[in-house]
Amino acid sequence: MSVDPFDASLDLLRRLNPKRTGTNLNSIITIAPDLTEDLLATVDQPLEVARCKSGRDYLLCDYNRDGDSHRSPWTNEYDPPLMDGTVPSESVRKLEIAANEAFDVYRDLYYEGGVSSVYFWNLDDGFAGVILLKKAPKPSSAAKSSGTWDSIHVFEANDKQRAWHYKLTSTVILNMVSSGETLGELDLSGNMTRQAEKEFPKGEDSDHIANIGQMVEDLELKMRNLMQEVYFGKAKDVVADLRSVASLSATNKDRGIHQEMLSGLRQR
Amino acid sequence: MSPEALEIASNFILDAPPGELQDVRADIESLLGDDASLIEELTPAIEQYNKEQLVSVVLPGGSQRVIVSEYNELPDGRYFDVESQSSWAFDHVTQKASAVQTYTLESKHADIIKSAVRSLSTHLSEHYPALPSSGIYPSTDDSTIAVVIVGNKYSPSNFWNGRWRSFFQFDPSNGSLTGTIKVDVHYYEDGNVRLLTKKSVEAQLGSGASGAELVKAVAAEEKKYQEELNREFVKLAEGTFKGLRRQLPVTRQKIDWEKIGTYKLGQDIGGGRNNDGGKDNECGRQ
Repeated sequence: MSVDPFDASLDLLRRLNPKRTGTNLNSIITIAPDLTEDLLATVDQPLEVARCKSGRDYLLCDYNRDGDSHRSPWTNEYDPPLMDGTVPSESVRKLEIAANEAFDVYRDLYYEGGVSSVYFWNLDDGFAGVILLKKAPKPSSAAKSSGTWDSIHVFEANDKQRAWHYKLTSTVILNMVSSGETLGELDLSGNMTRQAEKEFPKGEDSDHIANIGQMVEDLELKMRNLMQEVYFGKAKDVVADLRSVASLSATNKDRGIHQEMLSGLRQR
Repeated sequence: MSPEALEIASNFILDAPPGELQDVRADIESLLGDDASLIEELTPAIEQYNKEQLVSVVLPGGSQRVIVSEYNELPDGRYFDVESQSSWAFDHVTQKASAVQTYTLESKHADIIKSAVRSLSTHLSEHYPALPSSGIYPSTDDSTIAVVIVGNKYSPSNFWNGRWRSFFQFDPSNGSLTGTIKVDVHYYEDGNVRLLTKKSVEAQLGSGASGAELVKAVAAEEKKYQEELNREFVKLAEGTFKGLRRQLPVTRQKIDWEKIGTYKLGQDIGGGRNNDGGKDNECGRQ
């Protein structure tokens, strides 16, 4: 077989119901245990929320996990506690604290609620990090529809000779469900991934936050608009391609009349 | 294959999006090896998938698409179609029909079925622009009539595929019509987005309803549902989606990142701090 099992796994997860990515991922790992670590590090899943001892909520992912513990961005401590859990260097932790404050503002301005967490780690020639945002409003009992949004922005900041080079990979998971007597059941869910790369002139260490912030803000806006287009434009168009509400002969007749009028106008 | 692996692989098959069964199969083969026994073991799942998804096929020597489903399966495992008066053998793995024979409808509801077949053909050409197929079949005990419709649109080069399915059961003895409509749309360019819907419908026809009246009732239920679905797209876009993330902050300007330290949470944007709501802040705009 020419296709690599890892690539086949990713292809499978791109095709099967995105609402069940977690279950399907576990299934693949069951039949192909060799792929476990690579898949867990590659496949994005909806973020879990935990509360740290400072009383603040933070988000859990593979990047702040060490063994079975997760590190809180607010306290820099692992829960359950670890004696020698991996933490960023002092200078990178300083940036991480500033980034958490900045993206808390970003979260408030764009999400008006939800939870954010930023995790940084050291690289040989720079550092890398992940910016996580989640909004999952509790559906009111009266609401017929509900939704959840998860953003996962992973970046690398590399120190080049003359500039700082940033590479950003962003995934948004957007799940929506709706139900009712006349509607029945509707599930419109999925995820999209996009990338961006940019160079900024070197400056103060604190400039990293502004550079990364701009890139995340630009790409997330692009993705929000793209998802609006795919979820409510494209999906609706495909349904209309499958079945037409109006009768096709009437539609074609209208089109014919329209064509005649156009050609009539042109002849004048 | 272990029973556990077989169950996992079978569930993958049953979850395949419209038009992507072969891709899912190829992925499973990459993971589990593509020996002949694998496909043999997966055949029951592939058969179930074909029948549930109303897979359609053009018969050798024919021109129209005919459906393969649980509703037109004969006791010997062959399938039949009323309009083309044919029955055929079907290889579920290759999705190929063969050994076509003449099929003669024997049912006490033969008249209504035959007239409904004609009306259904008009209904399909008026409302199903893409690869449609339909069938009307008497139930095994000849008590009810099944009406099934499928429309498929495949556009893998643009990374999307879709399928509309209607399943209806009509009981001529009391005029009751029940059904289920399902829509499945998959978009997968640098992502994986899926629309899955399911709606149960019920209608009551007069006693002695004709085939044309039966199809008219089916068409009316489909139309009512499709219009509701279109309204729901707008509601979700304007309500649920907008409540998750704003396009721009209330200030209608992107963030000035150089001054990020001077923003104060919840204070500069009118209204108070609001953690779970979403719309309250908009009221505070000046």
